[in-house]
Amino acid sequence: MPGTILENLSGRKLSVLVAILFFSQLGCFLVGLIAPKPANSQGILATVCHNNKTAAKDMNYWVTRNCERIDLNHVEPGLTADDIVFVLQMPLSPEMDFSRWQQNLVGILQFDLLYQKGLNPVDFIVELTIDARLAFSDKKRTGGRTPWTYYAHSEEKRYMDCNIDLKNIKDPEGYPYNCSMVPLFELGSLYHDYYLLNIRLPYNEQQMKNVDLRKIQDVYLHLIHMNGGFTQVWVSLKTFFFPIIIGIMVWFWRRVHLLSRTPALLEYMLISLGGTLAFLDLPLEYLTLWFEMPYMLLLSDIRQGIFYAMLLSFWLVFAGEHMLIQDNGEKNSIKLYWKHLSTIVTGCLSLLVFDLCERGIQLVNPFYSIWVTPVGTNLALSFIILAGISASMYFIFLCYMIWRVFKNISIKRSVLPSMSQARRLHYEGIIYRFNFLMLATVICAAVTVISFILSQVAEGQNKWDENMELELSSALHTGVYGMWNVYICAMLMLYAPSHKQWPAEPICTEGEEVEFSRLPTDPTPNEISSLTSFASKASIE
Amino acid sequence: MKVTVIFVMNLFVLTALGDVTNARSKNRGKGSMWWGIAKAGEPNNLSPISPGGVYMDLSSAHGTLRRKQRRLARENPGLLVALHKGANNAIHECQHQFRNQRWNCSTRAFPRGKNLFGKIVDKGCRETAFIYAITSAAVTHAIARACSEGSIDTCNCETHYKGRPHVSGNGGGAAVAGVRDFEWGGCSDNIGFGFTVSREFVDAGERGKTIREKMNLHNNEAGRWHVKDQMRQECKCHGMSGSCTIKTCWMRLPPFRVIGDLLKDRFDGASHVAASGHHRNNNNAHQNRPPKNPKLNAISSNSIHSKRENRRKHKYGFQLKPFNPEHKPPGTKDLVYYEMSPGFCEKNPKLGIQGTHGRLCNDTSMGVDGCDIMCCGRGYRTQEVVVFERCNCTFHWCCEVKCDVCRTKRTIHTCV
Repeated sequence: MPGTILENLSGRKLSVLVAILFFSQLGCFLVGLIAPKPANSQGILATVCHNNKTAAKDMNYWVTRNCERIDLNHVEPGLTADDIVFVLQMPLSPEMDFSRWQQNLVGILQFDLLYQKGLNPVDFIVELTIDARLAFSDKKRTGGRTPWTYYAHSEEKRYMDCNIDLKNIKDPEGYPYNCSMVPLFELGSLYHDYYLLNIRLPYNEQQMKNVDLRKIQDVYLHLIHMNGGFTQVWVSLKTFFFPIIIGIMVWFWRRVHLLSRTPALLEYMLISLGGTLAFLDLPLEYLTLWFEMPYMLLLSDIRQGIFYAMLLSFWLVFAGEHMLIQDNGEKNSIKLYWKHLSTIVTGCLSLLVFDLCERGIQLVNPFYSIWVTPVGTNLALSFIILAGISASMYFIFLCYMIWRVFKNISIKRSVLPSMSQARRLHYEGIIYRFNFLMLATVICAAVTVISFILSQVAEGQNKWDENMELELSSALHTGVYGMWNVYICAMLMLYAPSHKQWPAEPICTEGEEVEFSRLPTDPTPNEISSLTSFASKASIE
Repeated sequence: MKVTVIFVMNLFVLTALGDVTNARSKNRGKGSMWWGIAKAGEPNNLSPISPGGVYMDLSSAHGTLRRKQRRLARENPGLLVALHKGANNAIHECQHQFRNQRWNCSTRAFPRGKNLFGKIVDKGCRETAFIYAITSAAVTHAIARACSEGSIDTCNCETHYKGRPHVSGNGGGAAVAGVRDFEWGGCSDNIGFGFTVSREFVDAGERGKTIREKMNLHNNEAGRWHVKDQMRQECKCHGMSGSCTIKTCWMRLPPFRVIGDLLKDRFDGASHVAASGHHRNNNNAHQNRPPKNPKLNAISSNSIHSKRENRRKHKYGFQLKPFNPEHKPPGTKDLVYYEMSPGFCEKNPKLGIQGTHGRLCNDTSMGVDGCDIMCCGRGYRTQEVVVFERCNCTFHWCCEVKCDVCRTKRTIHTCV
């Protein structure tokens, strides 16, 4: 009679296993402590340069920081918008170069606009037209750099909210507006060593380009990149878990195949869960060190998405399989759960479409953003809202199913005292371990939520005079990542079919206990744990 | 030639002053000699393209710097340009803030060193406090800005993990280590660098032994803290599908006008501190003055116990006492003074005060720009003039303001 390892494992072995899992979990957290925070930013002040109008038509004409400069506070008369180009060289210091470990690059513009008396409203929205061109350059082996080479170009529209609080300012002349930041570009791979951004703000009254713009004092670019140290720790974590999860999957599947039956639904779910985790763990990031893979951002989104979808489906099926929505003797199939699973599919698909619209198009044009046009904003919002609705539907389904499982169990618990000693202990153990695993899931979910909140708080904090070298947010990230790895490894191990035979049971022929006795001629194929059979018998009652 | 003449004259004036008051005042302006950097070199010659050239231009200012300051300038190429900009911002902002007051923060035509603002700084009064705070704030601001501009090479990136921002990476090994640090953990905020370097540079001449030096240190620190506390945090989410699973924040440097306004508010509410506290060190000062008021003691001990304040306040290990024991001791961001301001009404060549004769005033205002206060009761002349003013303006990016010209009659009041 096949049961799962969870039921047949002695308490001591179980505690040893839990201890091992706990320590590997702790290790994941500790390894995060040595890493710097996941991402860092660098603020770069744009150099304002003279633009060569005729040469600027050529896409291979680049203005670098060694240019004729303009002081925006004291401009010569006759200067027009076309004469100005904002030059941003990345990274800031010429001695530094980007490392491919830094993975990706996000650029955000910040405009410091000045209030001028007599012409400005207090609160307004600027429609910016930004002509942005991006070039790259690499270090040569022999020293020096390759010339700037075209990477991307686009003329983009962006909206910027600006306001000024005139009540608290005595003399607003020359006072800065408080303007929102302007996301500019997102590069999925940081393949090259140096990047150069040339920004022009064309002015055209007929085409309504930059007509709302005010006097600009400064233009800052805030660059966000992943930290190399964090990527290294992260990838090593993946490299560590990947072979382990593959090994456990192989072991699990062999055990399932040793049995003289076709695998049950829950076993299929477990192996596919393992598969998606293995896909998530696959350290593809190593490839970015040699190849330019701008689709890495999209790919990692998809990998995470598949994993979460699978995890959510697994919970659903896990709860369902312990509750009995199936008819007797019929093999359970995934089709029974189509209603519940469709919420997951809808949610994930709408997120995927949203992601493809944003990051997919960014593969072609890194300056693209779906949020700029009203149509795009509505589209993006509707996809996100759809995903949100599906998520809440899913949770309602899940909570309902779990509630029914617990109800079932508590009904059966009341029957337990009338059973024979050995059987009662046995069933109590199963219920205890099932609850234990439910508890583990709830704890994992709670820890994830808490660490998410903590990392938000930690990042939002203003740390000035703390000389803390430790970075908690990385530890939280690696900790949570390790936790789900450990969780799924534990599921695969504990829910693998056991080869142990049941202990000799006294065969009772009287009372209601006969209901619980196993008929050797009735090995229902979906019966992977005796809890399931326990519950199914309960429902026959 | 001219420079040397002025220098000699200054020396003479300094010594003369020293004789008049007491020996202590000789050291009074030592730490502020660097102000001269504001007027060193013509701004037109400052082409940031060639740092070498700038260095040469500003080298005339080198003579006014102390040894430690010269070392900092040497180790951080580009620092002098930033200081020059900072000092000029300070003057500009000071004059903007005080344009409607009796004292209008006038600078002298041929200043050298501390005499940039005239001899008002020889007195430990409110105005001096403001000057020290605004210059120190401006320098902090300018250095942080220069870092984001890339014109100082030794900013945080290289020294992120070493904790000593002023050490320049000379030699290939340090540079390689810097690159590796950048790869590992990125760069940290520039304001930290600006704060530290500004503290090292601006405070270089003040040892914090006399009350005047303590006052300068306190006001310098107050200026820097204003810059730091005005940094605004902004965040961007860039996790999975742009969600907030990963969020990165940075600090946004405030425009200098904001800091000027805040410092002006602090000027209006500056703390008068007790001048008698200038003992060798703080402990003595505590013991020599019997606690007049137990409540005050409680307050000051409270402030020492509060951890954050403590760390901030006691960088130099002293706590100034309020002149009026009933008042709270000055906080980190308060401006402090210990002498009353001289009258600014009449011309006072000894203190370099120009008086308020001929200044414009506002006859309807009851405030400091009102004619009653501005003209010190001497009365004022009223004229009617026709002015052509810009009005109904529209702005056209980049650099054009299209306005109508409006002709208005204006009544102008001038102090007698």
